[in-house]
Amino acid sequence: MIACLLIPGFELRAALRKQPGLALRPAALSPAAGAEPLLGPVTAEAERLGVRPGMRLGEGLATCPELVLVEQDPAAAEQAWEEILRALEDTGFAVDPADVGCVYFETRGVERLYGGLEPALRRALTAVGTAWDPRAGAAQRRFAALAAANVARPGQILVVSDERLRDFLAPLPLELVPMEPRRRAELHELGVKRVGQLAGLPGSAVAERLGPDGRRAWGLARGGKAARVRGRRPPAEIVEALEFPEAIGNELTLRRAFGALVETLMARPERRGRFVRKLALSARLVGGGSWRRSATLRDPTTELDRIKAALGPKLAELPAPVVELRLELVELTEQDGQQLELLPAAGGELDVRLREGLRQVRASTGSGSVNQVVEVAPWSRIPEARALFVPRDD
Amino acid sequence: MVAHSGSSRVVRAAGRLNEPRAAVVEARVDGMPVRVNRLPVEVVREEWRVVDRWWTEEPVSRRYFEVVLQSGENAVVFRDEEKACWFTQRGA
Repeated sequence: MIACLLIPGFELRAALRKQPGLALRPAALSPAAGAEPLLGPVTAEAERLGVRPGMRLGEGLATCPELVLVEQDPAAAEQAWEEILRALEDTGFAVDPADVGCVYFETRGVERLYGGLEPALRRALTAVGTAWDPRAGAAQRRFAALAAANVARPGQILVVSDERLRDFLAPLPLELVPMEPRRRAELHELGVKRVGQLAGLPGSAVAERLGPDGRRAWGLARGGKAARVRGRRPPAEIVEALEFPEAIGNELTLRRAFGALVETLMARPERRGRFVRKLALSARLVGGGSWRRSATLRDPTTELDRIKAALGPKLAELPAPVVELRLELVELTEQDGQQLELLPAAGGELDVRLREGLRQVRASTGSGSVNQVVEVAPWSRIPEARALFVPRDD
Repeated sequence: MVAHSGSSRVVRAAGRLNEPRAAVVEARVDGMPVRVNRLPVEVVREEWRVVDRWWTEEPVSRRYFEVVLQSGENAVVFRDEEKACWFTQRGA
């Protein structure tokens, strides 16, 4: 069986750990700086007073004037989530985290250890702790397990067998199926509001009308694929932090501090010459909140300049002065060497690489960013009449 | 369900390479540039004229200068005699 353990509103719960009194008052997670002003998860009291997650900030405050906005603390949320994952791993589950607050694992390997499926899931809930109000769902398919966990109450375990999967999914709201908001709105306009209604439509018609995203959602509404869950590779846990005597807002100073952190971290003996694949930069902000960005490198590397180039520009996104800067190596490769080329690439191989490079440029900068120069009148005395650049999206 | 009737095809136009760009140029009475985009001209290396398409509705009459600026940068500027404006241009 595939199990899904869910903690709804995890970011809000993590941010409220520092001010637990707010949990009983109407509170909502404030929007991130620079993002659309939409409320994040809300407390039960706020929900009782009519405030809903995803509501516009102004609308939320108008609905409930005493609403308290809780500043986002992504570093604290990440840290708390990592503690939960480790607690689950210590209990014997090979976890596959989907997002903060949502993790999947396979129960087959531990069912005998704990005496069955339900005792194993009960053990997982205990490992997380009742303070987080976790709930668990289990099914033969990943999406069905997620749906079951969404329906379960705090501390409850809901197991859905393959035989009654259709009947279980049918009355659930369409919001449960991940898809583009535009597609969901389109389905709502067509009167499709339940998972069962979507599952009942012909697949080819859904694909034609809604494209690949809609087809994927249709597949999930019918239970999804019976894919296996692969346990994550535990993070590397190599961290360096720099605490400033006073809050720093100057980007140049922050860049220098970041450069020093990269150099110190890469020189740590625990790395043992392994290459860096993923790293994360986080900061404690002067107002009490935090900020976090991570980057996965396309090719694992040990080059300081490439690592600095991957994360350095993100310092410009810092919303407030910083009192502590922290850099962690999240994922390292197993290999400690790189295969060099005996002969330089040529002909078809070079062409393939060029196409791949251009594809990546297009993927990161958008359509129309790659152009081809076409000579039209190379003999012309007027320079701008000699050649054109033509967008290439093939 | 009814299929979309609209097309998602996007048409993008081609552009000219080395299109002239407007420049702020101070010139002497004889037309020689002394400042290009507020940078003093160190030396004028070459000068030439391009007169073309005089038989069309859009004739071209330009006086080109290849200059070295005080910053060490090479630049090509021209005065469009038709529009009485200065431009910089690459690939000239």
